[in-house]
Amino acid sequence: MSILKAHNISKKFKNLEVLKGIDLEVNKGEVIAIIGPSGSGKSTLLRCLIRLETIDRGSIEIDGQPMVTEASDGHSVYASEQNIRVLRKKMGMVFQNFNLFPHKSVLENIIEAPIIVNGLSREEAEAIADQLLQKVGLAEKRHSYPCELSGGQQQRVAIARALAMNPDIMLFDEPTSALDPELTGEVLRVIKNLAEEHMTMLVVTHEMGFAKEVANRVIFMDNGVIIEEGTPEQIFDRTQHPRTKAFLGQILRS
Amino acid sequence: MELDYILNSSIAILKGFKVTYGLFFSTLIFSLPLGLLVALARISRYRILQVVTGTYIWLLRGTPLLLQVFFVYFGLPALGLTLNNMTAAILAFALNYAAYFAEIFRSGIQSINKGQYESADVLGLTYAQTMRRKIIPQMVKRVLPPVSNEVITLVKDTALVFGIGLLDVLRTAQIIVTRDFDITAFIIAAVFYLLNTAILTFIFRKLEQRYSYYTT
Repeated sequence: MSILKAHNISKKFKNLEVLKGIDLEVNKGEVIAIIGPSGSGKSTLLRCLIRLETIDRGSIEIDGQPMVTEASDGHSVYASEQNIRVLRKKMGMVFQNFNLFPHKSVLENIIEAPIIVNGLSREEAEAIADQLLQKVGLAEKRHSYPCELSGGQQQRVAIARALAMNPDIMLFDEPTSALDPELTGEVLRVIKNLAEEHMTMLVVTHEMGFAKEVANRVIFMDNGVIIEEGTPEQIFDRTQHPRTKAFLGQILRS
Repeated sequence: MELDYILNSSIAILKGFKVTYGLFFSTLIFSLPLGLLVALARISRYRILQVVTGTYIWLLRGTPLLLQVFFVYFGLPALGLTLNNMTAAILAFALNYAAYFAEIFRSGIQSINKGQYESADVLGLTYAQTMRRKIIPQMVKRVLPPVSNEVITLVKDTALVFGIGLLDVLRTAQIIVTRDFDITAFIIAAVFYLLNTAILTFIFRKLEQRYSYYTT
């Protein structure tokens, strides 16, 4: 069952066309890894899906509801701000740089949005937060501030914060790229656990081992287009596409 | 006696406190919130607000504070608004300091990483909620040093109100000096300003310490 559907989306920054007609359909429970060289448009794609960037052409549907539709002249027309708010609540996002709120404790980082956006009581929100902190292995950091945590711990808090809004889809924008190599494992493990619980996820990543192990589907992007997609075996072991081959070859050599 | 003289002069100068402190605190009470509003308008997406606040800041930072005080006290009556000298001073000072605070706040707000807006945005917070709960609290920490600078300047700027006949600390001291041909009163006034600056420096240091529980 499709939970997110993007059709023919294009995005320009000034004169630079970053996305050139992307089609993407995400089914419930799927874990999709998006790989590709830097500047290929992977992050922009993710950001467009959650409307951190607006698209110029194409359409996006979330859970069967249009967030942005394509007018007859091909230009994108967004739904009302109110409708978009409802649709965006179905999505959670985790950033490369964590973006925790530095002036708030771990607990406050997690409970604030459930309280002020979803209208939960403080007790309900704290109960959810504690459960999530347990899940990401940081129960004892409840009252710490982000600056007291390692990068890997901060990213795990960021994941808990996104999960506290109870999203249907999680978007990860290079979640381990800002981490020291020895800290990536703890974050990837949390994401892997989510995959085992059948959380629908889109993960932009440079961690090929992780993509291979956890993803059901791998999308290879280059230069604003999807070059190839398929199962991890199809992409990593049996690709015939020269650009995929070149990219993987480069990654494996480094 | 010398000591008696210092004491008597000090008591006379103390009367100037009322004007100096009255103006100092009134200016802060009005100019800090006004400065924040101007800063928010300046960075809003509405062109008209940007232009209006930009012009306001240019005018108020671009002319002498004393001239603004004169304008409010001597000029506004011509437009049908007559204010007593203390009210006129407070109005001019508040408008002037708000312009400076606005620019300090704007720089503070704009120094906050755009990732903070994005993470608040994807969590569903509105722009107003993001500003109030995320951006402004972090801005406060960053602008404490420049705000402290302005506040210390304000203590001394209050002396400008001699121009419209208000008897503040410095003007009172000056009257005593001209009466007695003795500069002791000036020294007393200097000590007064120095003490105030010391207190303010201490308060702002404490505030900075209070915010040091987190780093960005």
